[in-house]
Amino acid sequence: MKPSLAPLLPKEDAREAALFFVVCALCFLAALSGLVARSAYSAAGEWTDQVTGQITIRVRGDDAVTARAVDLVKEAPDIISARALDRAEAEELLRPWLGPTGVPADLPLPHLIAAESSPASTGAGGAGERLSAILKAANIDATVDDHIVWSEDVKRATDSAGLIALVAVGLLGATGLAVIAFATHATLLARRDIVELLHLTGAKDSFISSLFEQRFLMLGVQAGALGALLAFGAAAFTLFLVKQSDQQIWLLPQLSLSLADGLILGVSPLVAGIASMLAAKVTVMRSLSDMV
Amino acid sequence: MRERDLTSDEPVIRLDRVGLSYGPENDVLADVSLQLRPGSMTFLTGPSGAGKSTLLKLAYLALRPTAGRVSMFGVDTTRLARKDLAPLRRRIGVVFQEFRLLDHLTAYENAALPLRVLGQHEKAYRDDVIELLKWVGLGDRLDARPATLSGGEKQRVAIARAVVVKPDLIIADEPTGNVDEEMGDRLYRLFRELNKRLNTTVLIATHDLALVRKAKTDVLRLADGMVVRVPALADPAPGAPA
Repeated sequence: MKPSLAPLLPKEDAREAALFFVVCALCFLAALSGLVARSAYSAAGEWTDQVTGQITIRVRGDDAVTARAVDLVKEAPDIISARALDRAEAEELLRPWLGPTGVPADLPLPHLIAAESSPASTGAGGAGERLSAILKAANIDATVDDHIVWSEDVKRATDSAGLIALVAVGLLGATGLAVIAFATHATLLARRDIVELLHLTGAKDSFISSLFEQRFLMLGVQAGALGALLAFGAAAFTLFLVKQSDQQIWLLPQLSLSLADGLILGVSPLVAGIASMLAAKVTVMRSLSDMV
Repeated sequence: MRERDLTSDEPVIRLDRVGLSYGPENDVLADVSLQLRPGSMTFLTGPSGAGKSTLLKLAYLALRPTAGRVSMFGVDTTRLARKDLAPLRRRIGVVFQEFRLLDHLTAYENAALPLRVLGQHEKAYRDDVIELLKWVGLGDRLDARPATLSGGEKQRVAIARAVVVKPDLIIADEPTGNVDEEMGDRLYRLFRELNKRLNTTVLIATHDLALVRKAKTDVLRLADGMVVRVPALADPAPGAPA
């Protein structure tokens, strides 16, 4: 005799292979969307952190006016440091627009001052506005940019991208639940003989349901693990391509594989398994309630 | 064997003016009243389509009546909650007309199914199930799957499954319907032995009058949606049709 008992619910190879593929694909897409959402939020945070407290002042005037402006800025409240940028630094700032050949020698460049304020003094009524008033009072024609508008635009854009990714995760999750519920119902119909026999033998609903729950928990975990692994592979491949490229791609460096990404990938199979199990339980219990 | 908690005169099955219909003007059972005493062996006869299987389904709690009252082991099941029916079902062993063996399980696993439902560990019941299958003559077919079993062998696995938890009541629906006369006699002797040795109440639905005559026991006849109790059938006169 065989040493172990066969499971009460037999494997449905064809149906389960198709379901495995669907859950795997959904989990892959959900994990990838999760990574994109995290990257978007992370990128927004990094970009805004980089410019928070940074103030750029463009002075229309000669070197003497610029030096006077630097002195005034240094003395202003909440200013940590201030210095005038030399021509080489100004050319470096223009490189993305004018290309690697550099700036023509006879092209006049604006006089720029880079200042740093305390992070708490940014925003409306902050250091930027005060500097504008100080320079205007000193009759210095200058434009003060504390990057607030730009960083708010960036934040809004990345927040939108993150939200879209989260909605995608939600939709994929809901689709997964619906697919599992449908598959459970199909399995119930296909193996109604087993369900009825167990029911008439005196099995409690929870006993019958547990057979389906275990089956779909394992299926969800396994398919979810493969989907997460594929998502990891896709993310790693994208990173590899970015690192191979000589070009600076301003968005993609944020797509790293951090601890948070590992958490998303690690949790995905568990979420897929538990969601599958719950979908199966609800479906079976609802079907069993129709029996006497 | 499990202690029986029935008092000696408490009917195992009691039907009071039970009716069952599948819609207007489609009465399967009209006004059925009967009761079976503990330890009794009863045959339920009647023409095909008379409602024997339906009556059995009421008895093994697969259906609820649309009229009247069904009491099992002294419990009125008519208004009992679903969850409270499962413990009663565990006291009933059913031999279905179409066997209802699970194709992916062996004869041993099929026979042990109710014990798995009860949550018992295989170690605890393994020897008993093997012994039971030997008793029904299937000691050498433990690992056989239903597809490889003959009709009589399937029927005996089904009987083993029905009695493996030593139920208070065994209900069999046409247990000899798919086997030859010799096998029918063997199966009948199995039921008789269960009835005598374990004092198990047995209710058998059959249209095999030859079997009923051999049994010389209580007979319920179902016709026109009603049940009448008839005396044990006498052997037919020589030369008369069975």
